Amino acid sequence: MIKERFFNKWVFLLLLSIPAIGIIFNEPYYITLATKVIILGIAGVGLNLALGYGGLISFGHAAFFGIGGYVAAIMSYHALNEELLFEIPLAISGSSEMLIIWPLAIVISAFFSLLIGLLSLRTSGVYFIMITLAFAQMLYYFSISWPSYGGEDGLSMHMRNTLPFINTMNPLNFFLICLAWFFIAIFITSKLINSPYGMALQATKQNEERVKSVGIETFKVKLIVFVFSGAITGLAGSLYADLNRFVSPSMLNWHTSGEIMVFVILGGIARLYGPLLGASFFIILEQTLGLYTENWQFWLGLILILEIIFARSGIMGLFDKKNKL
Amino acid sequence: MNNKILNITNLSKSFGAFKVTDEISIDLKFNEIHALIGPNGAGKSTLIKQIVGTVKHDMGSIILDQEDITDLNDVERAKIGISRTFQVSSIIPKFTALENIVLSLLERSQKTFQLFKSLNSNSKLFSEAKEILLQIELEDRRKVIASELSHGERRKLEVGLALAMKPKVFLFDEPMAGLDETGTKMMINLFQRIKLNSPILLIEHDMDAVFALADRVSVIVYGKIVASGTVKEIKANPIVHDVYLGYEIT
Repeated sequence: MIKERFFNKWVFLLLLSIPAIGIIFNEPYYITLATKVIILGIAGVGLNLALGYGGLISFGHAAFFGIGGYVAAIMSYHALNEELLFEIPLAISGSSEMLIIWPLAIVISAFFSLLIGLLSLRTSGVYFIMITLAFAQMLYYFSISWPSYGGEDGLSMHMRNTLPFINTMNPLNFFLICLAWFFIAIFITSKLINSPYGMALQATKQNEERVKSVGIETFKVKLIVFVFSGAITGLAGSLYADLNRFVSPSMLNWHTSGEIMVFVILGGIARLYGPLLGASFFIILEQTLGLYTENWQFWLGLILILEIIFARSGIMGLFDKKNKL
Repeated sequence: MNNKILNITNLSKSFGAFKVTDEISIDLKFNEIHALIGPNGAGKSTLIKQIVGTVKHDMGSIILDQEDITDLNDVERAKIGISRTFQVSSIIPKFTALENIVLSLLERSQKTFQLFKSLNSNSKLFSEAKEILLQIELEDRRKVIASELSHGERRKLEVGLALAMKPKVFLFDEPMAGLDETGTKMMINLFQRIKLNSPILLIEHDMDAVFALADRVSVIVYGKIVASGTVKEIKANPIVHDVYLGYEIT
């Protein structure tokens, strides 16, 4: 049986080989495709923290993905038009600097996940699923009815946001930026789950009543992971906006929440690299089956059903059967 | 000087028309084991749940170490020094026995919210956890996943989880249920040692163990305390024989 860590290296090398093939055959599309996989993988890593390690089945992570995306696009829009973002209480202008946009996307997504978490984490099970979905749908309909930023049509970005000394329009450069963020997200997740806090989190997922009985405030434990999870997914959203140079309400739609959840389930719940593997598999299916039929998601559904029946630990679990949470 | 560490007054709880606990007043003194016995459905476990705060009381008060904890929630009560075992073993199933104990040590050592420090670097936590496993005779089973432990081992592990908290009082709900003779003897010895630091309110159906351990016994029937006293007094009480023991005790 292949160990998870060994398997992760192969997944990673395979992913690196795609841009290499793109360069060799002068096909930048492959690099863009690999970048999309990485970004969706980051979103999945964010959700995996809450869902996989915390047992919080959030069906509203599109909210954070969309918020991150809109932060990037709105900042860029105001920078391009040289319009102030706010005049009261402070005059704040837009920016096309990724070094400003990233922290802003993270902080605003974290803030929204804190608000949503404070209310939704008082519930559990199906009520938690529904309340997170409801919050995301509220934001979705808000974005549709927000004409200043494109409403239903979405908002285009004139060009990708910038980074000092690096041409972000170069597909390979942008791929490497996203890859760096992916590793930061993995590093943060790994640190969190291997800390004392991570132990409390994973215990809460298994037996919350017992964890409470040893004096641990499980609400606080869950809220912290929800905020980290939302912040990472928000960052992925801002990168996704830059990749496409476009944001639309669809980023906030429940379909997006479902897709992020599919990445996590396909790859393997509570597996560090599982979401990346899930996102890769999803995109491969989209790109291959999508050539033959518009309804390729029918086959995705079939694969998901088979996986849930026969391989609950996801693709990663097929190779490494170790007992996972 | 007040020698009571836990003082419960008129604690009541009804589910609809059914009074599960009916104005129960009971106390726990320093260095003692106070056993609570009674038939199934008498309200013993509900009383424990009311004391730990997982079941809200309708009326009454709970004083722990001269502090009114009646309005505190379950987590606050655990933090302040109430440690329990469950009637049905409640452990973290996918953690090892050692990890279960470490979890229980986190709050007391104020490490729960260390977000980025490696758990494995906390060697003190692990060495303390191993000492607790030694006390409950599970040291050689420390690496076993808790769900794979035998029933008796899980009961011991639960007691270990309670020990790790170093609480002011222990509330043990049938800790010896399903234990073999050796396990029961180990528990009796352990309880006799630990009561010197933290007294124990013990619910137990094994009357031999109760009579070997308890300094005081209270009998609860239909949510009411019907008798309370030393083991000798309880053994001699005809009401207790009628309502619960149902046999002559020699």
